[in-house]
Amino acid sequence: MHRKGVTDFVGVPDSTLKHFIDEGLGRKKILIATREEEAIGIAAGMSMSGGTPLVFMQNAGLANSISTITSLVRMYEIPMILVVGWRGYLRDDAPEHLAVGRIQQRLLRLAGVTSRIMTEENWRERCDWALDSARSGRPCALVVRRMFHD
Amino acid sequence: MIRREAVGIVARHMGDDPAVSANGFISRDLHGVLDRGSNFYMIGSMGLASSIAAGIAIRNPKRRVFVLDGDGNLLMNLGSLATIGSMKLNLVHVVFDNRAHESTGGQPTAAGRVDLGKIAMAAGYKTHYARTGAELDNVMKRAARAKGPIFVLVRVRTGGEKSGRVAIAPGDIRRRFESSL
Repeated sequence: MHRKGVTDFVGVPDSTLKHFIDEGLGRKKILIATREEEAIGIAAGMSMSGGTPLVFMQNAGLANSISTITSLVRMYEIPMILVVGWRGYLRDDAPEHLAVGRIQQRLLRLAGVTSRIMTEENWRERCDWALDSARSGRPCALVVRRMFHD
Repeated sequence: MIRREAVGIVARHMGDDPAVSANGFISRDLHGVLDRGSNFYMIGSMGLASSIAAGIAIRNPKRRVFVLDGDGNLLMNLGSLATIGSMKLNLVHVVFDNRAHESTGGQPTAAGRVDLGKIAMAAGYKTHYARTGAELDNVMKRAARAKGPIFVLVRVRTGGEKSGRVAIAPGDIRRRFESSL
């Protein structure tokens, strides 16, 4: 993503996205925010400054951020790429993740964010799709399903 | 001092630097006293003015970025003080402190009992306090020469002259702001 034009990676850690985040930290490309809304706010400032930011988070953080998505990202039409770890995808995931896991895809759709599921097989094509969306001014989300237990 | 007067004093010191103003009366006041393309008026997403400004400062390291914030707004996103302080971003973060959520009817915030300036200092800001117009003018002169992050806590009273709504469409606020950078 960095090679293809993402300028900044901002977000709140998620164990589903651990390897992605560790890779970015190792390359000193990642800013860890205190909350997901803060991360989206920072990304909005970067986007308006000509950058192409990516915001990573767990779906619990997506639930935190709905109002920020509707009243900042959507209302001002500020492009950015969200990468969301889908906890509660497995029906026997930890109990605190189940409710949001069930409504996550609908939440994204209702908030007006187009999303695609990213897998080990399709990630190149999905990353290109996300970059195209961001470049044409549309916020979008890549969803990574949590397929394993701790 | 009423807030609109304090916003006017701060605006005189902003030069052509970008400014992000918090939702509610603060954006209305800024729009009322000095409308310009390099003002990003927030409508909604309460608390995030300093975060948006942080993103602008990260991508524009040679610019000084102004934040016009409120006590209620800041208390909603205290974590941003730690992010900004730890990164030593070049922000002038002005908080108009009326110790109340005025635009929702004047309900009290904790700012009356907690020193927000000390919290900012602990996070790595240089803090200045102002209670009068003359003090604020002096502080802003000094802030314009120093390196950020700088925190200016301005005590204002509730009430006073009301500014009208920002009548610019959100997409236009963004486009004007982007082309000003």
